[in-house]
This record gives sequence, C-alpha cells and structure tokens, in this order.
Amino acid sequence: MGEALALGLASGPACVASCGPVLVPALLTGDGGVRPNARVLIVFLGARLLGYLLFAAVAWEVGALAHLEPGPRMMLTGAVNVTLAGVLLWYAYTAKHLCGGSCSGEKLVTIGASAKRRIPGAAAMGLLTGVSLCPPFVAAGFRAAQLGSVLLALLFFACFFLGTTVWFAPFAGLGCVVRNQAVVTVARMTMVLIALYYLLLGIALLMGRSGYGY
Amino acid sequence: MKLRSALGYTAAGATVLAAVLVPFLLMGMFSKGVVALGLHVDEMYSGGPALRVIQEGAYTITIHRTVYPHMLQNEKPFVQMDWGPVSALPARVSDVVDIDGDGRPDVRVSFGVPSDAKAPLHVDVEALSGRYEAMQNAGKEKNSRLIVHVDNSILVRVPLRNP
Amino acid sequence: MATSVGAPRHAGPAARGMVRSLLLTLPIVLWSLVMFFHPGTSTEWQSRAAATVTAVFMTVLFFMMMRTGTTYRWRRWFFVALGLLFPVGFIHGLLVARGSMGIPVEEMIAGRTPFCFMPIPTLILPAAFTRTIAFPGSIAGTNHGIAVMAGLWLAVTLVIGKGWCSYACFFGGIEEGVAAIPKRAEIRKIDSRWRYGPWAVLLAMVLLSFALFEPAYCIWLCPFKTVTEYVAARNAVGLVQNAIFILLFVGLVIVLPYLTKKRTQCSFFCPFGAFQSIFNKTSIFEIRIDRTRCKSCVVCQNACPNLSLSKESIARGETLMSCMKCGACVDACTNHAAVWHIKGTDVAVKPERARLMFLYAAWAMAVMFGGSIIAQGVATILHFVG
Repeated sequence: MGEALALGLASGPACVASCGPVLVPALLTGDGGVRPNARVLIVFLGARLLGYLLFAAVAWEVGALAHLEPGPRMMLTGAVNVTLAGVLLWYAYTAKHLCGGSCSGEKLVTIGASAKRRIPGAAAMGLLTGVSLCPPFVAAGFRAAQLGSVLLALLFFACFFLGTTVWFAPFAGLGCVVRNQAVVTVARMTMVLIALYYLLLGIALLMGRSGYGY
Repeated sequence: MKLRSALGYTAAGATVLAAVLVPFLLMGMFSKGVVALGLHVDEMYSGGPALRVIQEGAYTITIHRTVYPHMLQNEKPFVQMDWGPVSALPARVSDVVDIDGDGRPDVRVSFGVPSDAKAPLHVDVEALSGRYEAMQNAGKEKNSRLIVHVDNSILVRVPLRNP
Repeated sequence: MATSVGAPRHAGPAARGMVRSLLLTLPIVLWSLVMFFHPGTSTEWQSRAAATVTAVFMTVLFFMMMRTGTTYRWRRWFFVALGLLFPVGFIHGLLVARGSMGIPVEEMIAGRTPFCFMPIPTLILPAAFTRTIAFPGSIAGTNHGIAVMAGLWLAVTLVIGKGWCSYACFFGGIEEGVAAIPKRAEIRKIDSRWRYGPWAVLLAMVLLSFALFEPAYCIWLCPFKTVTEYVAARNAVGLVQNAIFILLFVGLVIVLPYLTKKRTQCSFFCPFGAFQSIFNKTSIFEIRIDRTRCKSCVVCQNACPNLSLSKESIARGETLMSCMKCGACVDACTNHAAVWHIKGTDVAVKPERARLMFLYAAWAMAVMFGGSIIAQGVATILHFVG
C-alpha cells in the first residue's frame, strides 16, 4: 500500500489539474471562509473517493480494471463529461440565489442555507470526476488489477486517493478569497465555459470522435 | 507629500527611460532570460530528444526518447523515429527497427515515399516485441500515432502498447 | 449603463501652439527615424516607402496629440491601422511560407507555429509544474519564437502596463474601428456584470490549459484565428472549432462593437486583457478623477470604450483596474476632472505633465512594435501593387 500512496503523491499534480476546472469555480461560488470552503472540499473529495471505489469494484467484477477497451472507454468518458457539464450548468445557475437581493456589489451576505444547497452539487461533481478515468487513475487501476482480490484493489485505490488528496489541501485556502459580486460572477461564468467545453468533448466522444480537430 | 511626488516623478522618468531601452536592451535581456529558464516545448509536439541513429545504407533512422503525456493529454506514450534524408529513401521503405537498443527487433515499419512532398503518407507498423502497438494504414491520427513529412525527414510515431 | 463614444467636443486643457507642438514631437521624429531606418532594415523600395509612410503617420498623430491636447482619437487612428494591417502582413507571410492560413500538424512538430502573446497566461501553470511550454512553437531563434514574444511582452508591460491594450495589441484595432463607424449606439444599456467576462475566460482557460496541457484558448476560443492562423481542420471537431472562431469574431469584433460602440471583445471576453489588468497595479501612470471638479455627469463613463468607469469608481476618484489608458474619458470630460496622473503625485496638479510622460513611453512602444507591423502591412500591399 506504500506503493499506492507513493503513486498517489506522484500523480497529485495531474489529479489537481484534472479536478481543478471543476473544483476551483465551484469553491468560489460557495460561501467565503475557510470552514464552509473546507466543507465543500471534503464533500467533493469524499464523493471522488466513492467514485474511485465504485468504479474499481465494478471494473474488477467485469475484468476491465487492467484494461478497458477504447470503445467502451470513450463512451464512458463521453457520458461522464456530458453529465458533468449538466451538473456544472445547474450549479452555476443555482449560485445566483446566493446573491439574491442582498448582494450590494461590495460584500456578499452569508446565507446559511446556501451551504446546504452547495453540498449535493459538490458531491455530484466529486463523484463524476472520480469516474472520469484520468491517466493517474488508469495507472492505479492497472496496478490494482494485479492484486489478489477486489478488497485489496479497493484498499489500493483508497491509499492512492490519500496520496493524491495531499495536493488538494491548498484548495482550502480559496476560502480566504472574499466573496463579492465580482468573484461569484466570475466563478459562475467560468463554470459555464468549462461546462460547455465538457459538453462539446463529451458529445464528440459519444460520437466516437477523438477531441482533436486536426 | 513632496517625497512621494519626487518618487512618483522619478519612477515616471525611469519608465520613460525604460521605454527607450526596450528595443536596445530590455527586450533582448528578457528574451534571453526566458531561454535561460531552461524551458522546453512539450515533447508531445517536438517528439522528444534524439537518442541514437541507425545507419541504413544511404539513409538513417533517428530514434527519439519515449514521450509520455502530461496531465490529461489524451495521448499514449510514443516513440518517434525519423527517416532521412528523404532524397535517399527508396520508393518503399520497410525496416525492422530495434527501438530500445536491446538487440531484439521491436517493430517493422513500412511506408511508401511519394515523389510529391505534399502527398499524404500512410504507415503500417508490425509489432514484433509486443511493447509497441501495431498500426495499419495509419496517417495523421493523433500526436502519438502518425506519419508526417517534416522538412527533410519522414517521421513515424508509434504508441507504446502497455505503458 | 448608457454608452456613447465619440470625438471630444472641446479642445483639451493643454492645446498648444505650432512651434511648441513641433518641439515636443521632435523626440518622436528621432525615435521613428531610429526604429524604421536603422542599419539592417530592408532596402527594397516597398519597405523604404512603407517605413517612410508609417514614420510620417506616427509622427503626425503624435503632433496632433500635442497640438490639440487630446489623445483618444489620434491614438485610435494608429490602433485601427494596426488592427487592419497586421492580418495583411501576417497572412501574406503564412501564404508565402506554407501556402495556407491553416497550420498542419507538420508545422507544429517542426516548432513553426507563430507565437502571439495571448496564450502567455495559460502557459504559466504547466511551465511552473513541468518546465514545459504547452505550445507547438520554438523557444528561441525566430521572430515568432516564444522567447522573443515573451521578452517583448514583458518589456512593454513593464513600461505601460495595461496600456498594452491601447498601444501594442494588434487585435483590438478592428473592433475599435467598427465601434467608431455609427454615430450613436443602438444598444445603450449594458449590464455591468458582463465586464467580469474576461476574468472568467482567463480562469477557465488557465484551468483547462493546465488540465489538458495545451493552449486551450488558441484551440477553442480565440476570435482572431479568423484573421490570422488556425488549426487546419480535418474532422468534425475541427470544423466546430473553426465555427466557434468565426462566430466569436463576427459577434464580438464586428456586430456588438457596431451596436454598442464599445470594444466588446476586449471588455467582455479577452482573457489576456484581464491578465494585463493586474499590471495596472504596478504601472506608475493612471487616470484619476478630480473629485473637486467632477460634477457626476458620467460623460466619462459613457465615453469609456471598455466599461472601466463605474459610479462607484468615479465616486472614489479612480478608474477600474481594467482601464486601458486610451484617454477617451479624459478627452470627453468637459470639466477637466478626468486627468492623467502619476502615482504618488497630487491629483490634477500638472496633469499634462503626466500625460506627456506617459505618451512618450507609450508612443515609443507604439512606434517600435505597432509601427513595425503597420510598415510590414503597407510594404505587403506595395508589393502587390508595385
């Protein structure tokens, strides 16, 4: 399991890169403050772990953990991307209720109920990024498939996840960014743009096309 | 307040002076500084540094270092091989290549060399060692899987089978 | 927010006599001679003629800035010329080099993709983590090399900060020219939140570029691919990419500027502009509002082509950080409340001195960089005509 941890630590930048487009704007549309921010981050990471474990368990059962054929892999990634796009768009839309009528443009009034609205969205995003088959995840899957049982494979993934999670700690610092109309608006617009990218890429993959135009 | 004003005007004067120095000093200095950072263009584009050259009669095959994808690049690791000079290539190339230099053949690469430099190329790669993917009539499919004519060489990129 | 941009209706506060204006223009004359006729410049008659025309053009514009005491409309002539002539020279160069505006993968592998300043902010994270430039160009050695453009950008930004967007950017002039065509704006109310757009595009492109390890803006969102170079599309995804470029260009660079009389691509979309805004914090020059003279008529706000003034910022006596230092607000203000300013000095005390110092720096950059591009475009036209 030390190997899993080391693999996770080494893969951290790639995991941060893959989750960043989803996580950064999601955190910025949430409540300010380190604690509320950390709450959303923990839910996201927890759901991501759940995604890892669910995928690993299912893939083990169907014998696809070491190698998933390109066709089904494209389909799965495409479906995940399209779903993620939908979640991002919904999350960006509901973020407007954070502001409501009390947003003066200078400071955002903290609305307690808003934190609860953010949790399902964060969980959905975490779960989807967890099954998005990023290269470090695939590498971990290849290694985990060589272990003797599904329980060992799940344990491998859990340790791998721990290794990658270390790299996510700095995201808690986004809670220090003041939440005003500018920040929330930028974050919402960013989510829409990223959602559109995932939507385009997802549709291309579902149609059997790679993401390349040349 | 006078000190602040003096500093402000000094900074403004220095800025005007800097403007004069831009084409003669600053631009070159900053460009050299960027070069000195030791950055390199992503090998997914450049193909990686050349490792060794195999002489095949009048032409050579240059083997590059294996290139691995960064972050979420949707590519497999690959090895680039360059055949050149193009003028020395026969009308049809079919070479067995020991890519990793272990004395055992890894792939057989076969492609036609059209007289028109702009004509599309296609390559067949037969996997002999199991380490590299076979390719059939591949053109320009992805950065990690292609055949192209660049300057005076024909480049073939073969993905690794199980990274 | 109501909109209208037009030539100022009054002479600036420091309109000058002929002799004094000529004397103040002299440094620019000398600078232009050095920039356009130094040893090593081409001796072909087309290049010489183009250099002469451009040097005269830039000198006359600066003279008029001195003579009239205004900035915006003279700077705009330069900027529109730059925006229109850059594609002329650039596209011609592409057609000569490879016969097409589309970049095939061969050119990317050879490291011959021309590098422009736009992807700079999106390359920082990949370079910081992996020491790798996620762009299919060359680091050194060519005019379009990454090091040359990065060095140029850094040097010019050191001097004029976000003034880059008014005195150096070779893209903004097209929409500024289109925005100048109608007499009045058809769309006069614009939600101020749209001005956060560039920051959103910047954040999205930085994150996606890091994740995908590619210049995401260049591949997916740059409207100016329509008038420069673009990926040679070979499949449906490529066609979608090119369609996005064209739609964004038509919408943000032609239609919306015409309807709003604003630089809409710059104000609502350009991620590089958002990045450059950061350097307004380090720039010694700025535009301020003298609260003792301001009568809150918001003429300056309406005149700004970039929505860089709001009621709140005017009340604070300052512009927003997106200010491009184009001078439109200063020229439009009838009470001389909007003034050029050097940080640290008293506001509205000798503002013309601040303007002069800024213009010497900015126009030096404009002549050096934009002027050379204009000259190249003119030379290209002369090659066809001559």
